Amino acid sequence: MKRIWNVARLQVVNRWTILWIPLMILGFIWLVNVALWWILSSSLATEDFADASSGMQWSGASFYIFVYMLVIAAQAMTMTFPYALGLSVTRREYYLGSLIAFVLLALTYGLLMTGLSFLERATNGWGFGGTMFSAVYFGQGPFLERLFVFAVAFLFFFIVGTFGGTIYMRWRTNGMLTAGAALIIVALAAVAVITLSESWPRVGEWFVASGPTGVVAWMLVPTALFSLAGYAALSRATPKS
Amino acid sequence: MTATLTQTDAVVSVGGLTKRFGSFTAVDDVSFSVQPNTINGLLGRNGAGKTTIMQILTGQDFPTAGDVRVFGEAPAENPRVLSNISFIKESQRYPDDFQPRHVFESAPWFFENWDGDLAARLVEDFRLPVKRRIKKLSRGQLSAVGVIVGLAARAPLTFFDEPYLGLDAVARQLFYDRLLEDYAEHPRTVILSTHLIDEVANLLEHVIVLDKGRIIIDEDAERLRGSATTVVGTRSAVDAFAEGREVIARESVGGLASVTVTGLDDASRRQAAQTGLELSTVSLQQLIVRKTNAPDTEFENPS
Amino acid sequence: MIEEGKPIFVQIAEQIENDIIGGRLAEEHQVPSTNEFAAFYRINPATAGKGVNRLVDEGILYKRRGIGMFVATGARERLLEARRMRFRDEFLTPLLDEASKLGISPEQLTQMIQKEGVTP
Repeated sequence: MKRIWNVARLQVVNRWTILWIPLMILGFIWLVNVALWWILSSSLATEDFADASSGMQWSGASFYIFVYMLVIAAQAMTMTFPYALGLSVTRREYYLGSLIAFVLLALTYGLLMTGLSFLERATNGWGFGGTMFSAVYFGQGPFLERLFVFAVAFLFFFIVGTFGGTIYMRWRTNGMLTAGAALIIVALAAVAVITLSESWPRVGEWFVASGPTGVVAWMLVPTALFSLAGYAALSRATPKS
Repeated sequence: MTATLTQTDAVVSVGGLTKRFGSFTAVDDVSFSVQPNTINGLLGRNGAGKTTIMQILTGQDFPTAGDVRVFGEAPAENPRVLSNISFIKESQRYPDDFQPRHVFESAPWFFENWDGDLAARLVEDFRLPVKRRIKKLSRGQLSAVGVIVGLAARAPLTFFDEPYLGLDAVARQLFYDRLLEDYAEHPRTVILSTHLIDEVANLLEHVIVLDKGRIIIDEDAERLRGSATTVVGTRSAVDAFAEGREVIARESVGGLASVTVTGLDDASRRQAAQTGLELSTVSLQQLIVRKTNAPDTEFENPS
Repeated sequence: MIEEGKPIFVQIAEQIENDIIGGRLAEEHQVPSTNEFAAFYRINPATAGKGVNRLVDEGILYKRRGIGMFVATGARERLLEARRMRFRDEFLTPLLDEASKLGISPEQLTQMIQKEGVTP
């Protein structure tokens, strides 16, 4: 158990990758958004700006931070895994330790984003009615709900990144291409089925009815599946150089 | 040939180990054992199968067939066994953006016997810049990181896989000296793979030589030393002398010939001298070169 | 220092023997430890130990527990005697063989030796 915990520590040993760079990205995106809003608000009349603001509710600016988490996780697999093997860690210890680290990181960043979303509301959108941390899909509602949405979303991207990295470690580029193709086919099949049975309206209703919390809660299912698949792939992976 | 496991008190016990990558057989029915608290050389040309065997012994790769025991158990995914092993590969990868200090910070978490003072001293000896990103280190500095981990970890079973590529001769000698020093104070089992045989010859107690995935020599180092002699002279005299003896290598130029033979006793030596033949010693490296039919240069290039 | 082609432990043993014969290592005095030999010659400590143990087996060295290895009394004389035997086997016997082939009798041989052996 101690070794598994040490693997978790290993994932966060380098503060730059895990903390400073994501914060910098977030900070940069925030600055860019604030600058945009400032430009808009100074050049538009109040009503026009209100119109533009309502559109900005849908801002996906902070989406990039989620993508970065995917990248961290993938790199953890392709680079930290061979290193961990070199430190005589077993694959099981490595996977469990990494999962623990990612859950904790997801919670930490979830807390950060939740805090920022409250701050955003409190400052009335940073003084511009901006909605970077509290767009329609997240950052709304009571504290725990927001934290849940953010944390699970982060975890999902961590796990998907891990899965991708694992596929690469086990089967290299061919594996990646195959897995990618397989996922696309599954997605297409789903779209085909939904389209042909004319169920899009129902899908839309489900999204609206469940709200961000509901949708994200369902995301836990693919998250669990990907994490199991990742471990299965890792169990025979080797650090080919 | 039956696959048998030899000596159950051995640290490493391999029987009939085979590893195939597709149609390529990297390791072919290999059996050997390693005694505790000895320095062993796993020698052979590039591509002979040394790294593959080490990867299987450390659970990083899996056998296609055969039995592998380390500390009495199968090593793969076995924390009991693996926590007593350190394996520093020539091509060890480190996480992106890691600096050596991150390595020396995290390695102790996994090696109980880690000696921080030794690590610090070695960092100075090798003049390693600990705050520079590993990506930016020279080949020699990268090797130094691996060597320091391997030495400071003091793992009961320590593997070194060509750990000093890029290290200059001074740094290599430093590695050998520190290894011997620490080994004398804290005995452990060391398995060292290299193609620079002459440099490590004096350190080794036991020698295993691989060629194309098979073991061709598995012998006590001291018994190997002096087991072969090169006899030089006129072709007729040499051929007459070599009659009935085990000949490892044979060369000739013009009217001169030379053979490398094994098992010359004092009487034979005197006989050779009397027939006007010249005898010269054969180093461990030369012996292995002759037996693997490799060009001499294969074992000299340190990169 | 360390030659090729001859087991290292033999060379270590011979080096110690040479030092004893040459008076550099006196009887009842301590001999460097195995680790010191290993470090000096840059060899494996086990190999150095083997060389030392060979001399212990031959009665040239003995161990004082907790202190180290010492040169046994009478070691020098024993070594010299062994060397004299080897001299006889390696040089004297072939010399006599060769001499008899050339028809030189042992008495003639002795005369030749005495003449050659006179140092100017």
